[in-house]
Amino acid sequence: MAIQVRLFASLRERAGWSERLVAVDGLPATPRSLWRQLHLSDGAEAGTGRAGQADALPQGIRVAINQAFAAPDTPLVDGDELAFLPPISGG
Amino acid sequence: MTTPCTIELLAQPFEPLQALAAWQRQLRCGCEGPGTDRGDASRVEQACLPPAEAHFIGRVRATTASGAPLEALELEHYPGMTERQLVQLAEGCLQRHGVAAALVVHRVGRILPGEAIVLVAVAADRRGPAQRCGQELLEALKHEAPFWKREWSGGVGGWVEGNTAW
Repeated sequence: MAIQVRLFASLRERAGWSERLVAVDGLPATPRSLWRQLHLSDGAEAGTGRAGQADALPQGIRVAINQAFAAPDTPLVDGDELAFLPPISGG
Repeated sequence: MTTPCTIELLAQPFEPLQALAAWQRQLRCGCEGPGTDRGDASRVEQACLPPAEAHFIGRVRATTASGAPLEALELEHYPGMTERQLVQLAEGCLQRHGVAAALVVHRVGRILPGEAIVLVAVAADRRGPAQRCGQELLEALKHEAPFWKREWSGGVGGWVEGNTAW
């Protein structure tokens, strides 16, 4: 299946891309698994320092599926738009 | 009365008092009943406005979070989701406080110090619900609507993570 992944603000600049169609095979995909698959923690300043945690979805990052907030372990379906959102600062 | 929640995202500077006046005209629309002559129309429309309104105008500070002179604030959003989220937040606040109408105007793009960045207005039957709803809606949009600020100072941009003190 294919998932449209979008990044915003600091996450977009760290990764160097804003939007990408990602092919997913095999196990059911979730936002958490795509975060790992796309190595989106690469370049983050604050690592956990613990083995196995390097690719974990950081606590401050929120997830939206089809433009609505969602839990990081929500199963994705073909055609979903998945966005990773850095901490919000509006108003 | 027309739709109770009015949401506007603007890429250009806006004048909050003009935006408020336009919203009040919108609230009056439809107040003029059949058989009302033109002489009575403005009095009828005026009487249709809810008796309490709470307003908040937020402007861009002249300094960054670290105290350096600010050249400009850049505001990024998630087109589609941001608008939808603002409508949901406003509708939820209106229902919880039992108020009549709400207006949210929010800038996006490059904003200069002193320019208005946000306007929140609530119209209600009483001052208490109007003020409580306005405060809740403002805090909700600061934390739950996808906006991201970048401060520009000395030609260097830095993303702001989190909100200013209350």
